[in-house]
Amino acid sequence: MRLILVVLPTPEIGRSEREAIGAARALATAFDGEVNVALIGPVAESIAAYRVGASLASEASANARTFLIAHPMLREYAPELYVSALEQLLAAVRPDVVLFPGRTIALEIAPRLAYRLGTAMVTDAIGLRAEDGAVVITKPVYGGKAHAVVVAPRPPVVVCVRPRAFDPIKEGIAEGGIRWIEVTLDPLLRRTRLLERIQEESATDTALEEARIIVSGGRGMGGPEGFQLLGELARWLGGAVGASRAACDAGWVPASWQIGQTGKKVAPDLYIAVGISGASQHVVGISGARCIVAINKDSRAPIFKVADLGIVEEYERVVPALIEEVKRLRGAERA
Amino acid sequence: MRVVVCVTQILDPEIPPSEFRLNAERTAAAEGIGQQVISIFDENALEVALQLRERMIEREQVEIVALTVGPSSSADVLRKALSLRADRAILISSEGGPSLDGFVVARLLAAAVGKLSPVDLVLCGRETGDWHGGQVGSFLAEALGWACVNFVSRIEVSEGGFLMRRQSDEGWEIVWAMRPAVATITNDEANVPRLPKVRDTMLAARAPIPVWTISELVGDAAELWGGSGRLRMRELVIPSTSKACEWIEGETVQEKAARLVRALQERRIL
Repeated sequence: MRLILVVLPTPEIGRSEREAIGAARALATAFDGEVNVALIGPVAESIAAYRVGASLASEASANARTFLIAHPMLREYAPELYVSALEQLLAAVRPDVVLFPGRTIALEIAPRLAYRLGTAMVTDAIGLRAEDGAVVITKPVYGGKAHAVVVAPRPPVVVCVRPRAFDPIKEGIAEGGIRWIEVTLDPLLRRTRLLERIQEESATDTALEEARIIVSGGRGMGGPEGFQLLGELARWLGGAVGASRAACDAGWVPASWQIGQTGKKVAPDLYIAVGISGASQHVVGISGARCIVAINKDSRAPIFKVADLGIVEEYERVVPALIEEVKRLRGAERA
Repeated sequence: MRVVVCVTQILDPEIPPSEFRLNAERTAAAEGIGQQVISIFDENALEVALQLRERMIEREQVEIVALTVGPSSSADVLRKALSLRADRAILISSEGGPSLDGFVVARLLAAAVGKLSPVDLVLCGRETGDWHGGQVGSFLAEALGWACVNFVSRIEVSEGGFLMRRQSDEGWEIVWAMRPAVATITNDEANVPRLPKVRDTMLAARAPIPVWTISELVGDAAELWGGSGRLRMRELVIPSTSKACEWIEGETVQEKAARLVRALQERRIL
């Protein structure tokens, strides 16, 4: 069985890619298969990036190869051109499983590629295993209230891996062969143009997806002001600030802070949910958290059903006390 | 300008896990455990279309057509669209056809969009609130051969196409897309769905809804499927998530805070 991980343009090849390789390696071992990595666009033109790509492949299987697709028309991201280039790659490589890492951009490319290949596809995979030559995939449905187990009876199958659902592999040493794939792109294919890219500010310097500690606020915050408090707590803890969908929709914080089924999926060591009721669609995004603390004034809030530790209290009162307590702790550590 | 908004009916995603049950075959949620509602991002898509029509009022007439694929009971979501003042709504009846998946739905929608020609813009929710497939909009764009922009929250008309605000992992982007285009819609503070007026809800309840059949749209239903690889559903399982929450009590908030920090230290989290 031949697997291929497609690395799309990203500011950094990181944990999401290493998790996808983790998922691929388990499958490849079961099938005595090979895991390949394809880099497309600017990531294929950066030596540093393709070293990382090659090291991913060599960690995954012995006979791995790294494919590079670079083309002047791929320097600027346009999904229709990327889909066309990847279609040409897959025609040359003929993989049985096409994996995409858990990034938003993958959810834009993968379905269109699957449609062109006429293959089955699954987004949001949290389980991937082999069974009698078929690939068996698990994904959350109904906002995480159930998991669906689906079977792709015949290859190829396109799978988007859910972020923070698989253990990442360690970074290895770049080995294995590198092959450039020549693609032909028709300028007339182009139907979109990226005009502007705006990076939203976050409350702390720590990226939400990478944070070890996350302090998150919901509808119970009552407005944007309370998020200042959460930001202060997060800074003292060395963490990041997230939010529920309700808080983002209310415009209190940017949409890129959203955690949940359709926001970021996170797996911190500590997740502090403040004024978050705990709807399934939010909880499914934090299922990888090691310890969940819930702070809510309503003791019947569903968030307490998934929390390890709970405080029934108004956040305006307990969060400042918690900040003082953490300050004291950090002070004691420094002394 | 004609804008098509694709909507779908799902089990109310707000029902709590404690009330969630599976059917006997373990292939879907049990019937009757909750209301059937319009999928959440489809509501955002309708809102984006309504705002576009309002902004264009002085410049160009915008007609909003709501489409759904499903059994006759899913006409309810079309009535919802009409109550929000979509201009018209069409039900694509799935009765007698193959079981629905992303490919089948996208091909039926593509045929319907062809029949509604000329169409300038098609909006879909980014994913349904039950299966979270996140595929139909992209499949539809492929079937039509149109531009496609995903995770869009606002749209404006621009020279030869549309300006779309797209959410990214880091923030957002402005993307120009050639007309005609497909966009999949995500939520943000600018497209929170409005509520229908009582009078419009009453009018929508009585409005006639035309039904298009599979044979009318694609001829032979077997053709729909083509040669594409299909997933087989094995089963659904309910994950066990319930934990025993340890309550942190205390006379004062300072005491509660101190006990929480101590509990976290004991667990080697802090």
